Amino acid sequence: MQTTDIQITTNHQDRLIAGFAALAISIHLLESALPSPIPGIKPGLANLVTLYVLLRHGWRLALNVSLLRVLAGSLLLGSFLSPTFSLSLAGAIASLIILGLTWHLPGKPFGPVGLSILAALAHMTAQIVTAYFLFIPHTALFGLLPLLLTAALISGTLGGILVNRIIKRRDELTQHE
Amino acid sequence: MTLQNIISDFKLADKAVFLFSLSLIITSYFYFWQSTPASYAIIKSPQQKSLQVSLNENQLYNIQGALGKSAIEVKQGKIRFISSPCQNKFCIQHGWQQHHGNLTACLPNRISIQLANLNQTENYYDAINF
Repeated sequence: MQTTDIQITTNHQDRLIAGFAALAISIHLLESALPSPIPGIKPGLANLVTLYVLLRHGWRLALNVSLLRVLAGSLLLGSFLSPTFSLSLAGAIASLIILGLTWHLPGKPFGPVGLSILAALAHMTAQIVTAYFLFIPHTALFGLLPLLLTAALISGTLGGILVNRIIKRRDELTQHE
Repeated sequence: MTLQNIISDFKLADKAVFLFSLSLIITSYFYFWQSTPASYAIIKSPQQKSLQVSLNENQLYNIQGALGKSAIEVKQGKIRFISSPCQNKFCIQHGWQQHHGNLTACLPNRISIQLANLNQTENYYDAINF
């Protein structure tokens, strides 16, 4: 019998995606263990990885990292194809679309904070709309929207500031090398 | 790292996005947290087909439930139970209902009243979770 070795050649990009996805998944798992004051509100720390990857390596990589995080994160938490997963995926896709559109604007007017706020709001809105159409078809659900959007604005702003700091710090370190 | 330092890192578009989102969110509180009056009510009972009644026409309805007849009154855009063959009379205590999305029911008699606006499609389920 003949055996064949399957060899997968990876390039630099693949390794970047794998590394960042692993980081995002770890944060996703840690964050899911944190108790949340109100259902639906969490800091969204895993999305900071997406934002960082977007700013440093572009939208295509960010897309890969974010979708891998949602998929692998759900497999590890056991929520694959559950409502939680649908909401997570809807949020990730919406924020990726918004990030893609704003990132490719000529002149790159947005910094990390603007991008982060837009992504957070898109994430939250998409989740509520998905929840409405799939799970709770009652207009009272939209009564939650103002509160959740407020939380998204706060976490989006803080997340953007954090990513900004991380990028600055990283640039400082590379200069010293 | 002071607040001034942080804000000086914001680009013009970042500030614009922040302020625009903030004003949008403040508006959303007013928009989503106001209660709109309902225009009709759906009365459901296991004994008969669900009944859609307009809240603009003052009328008294006698609905056959699991235990007996419940009397439901519609007056000036509001609806309430006025009598029901149940023990605790929670449905009557609940009083007038008039806002879109409100729900009142007499559980022992298995009659529910759901308030809604026009152009609302009926849902097959209330919520899904697992």
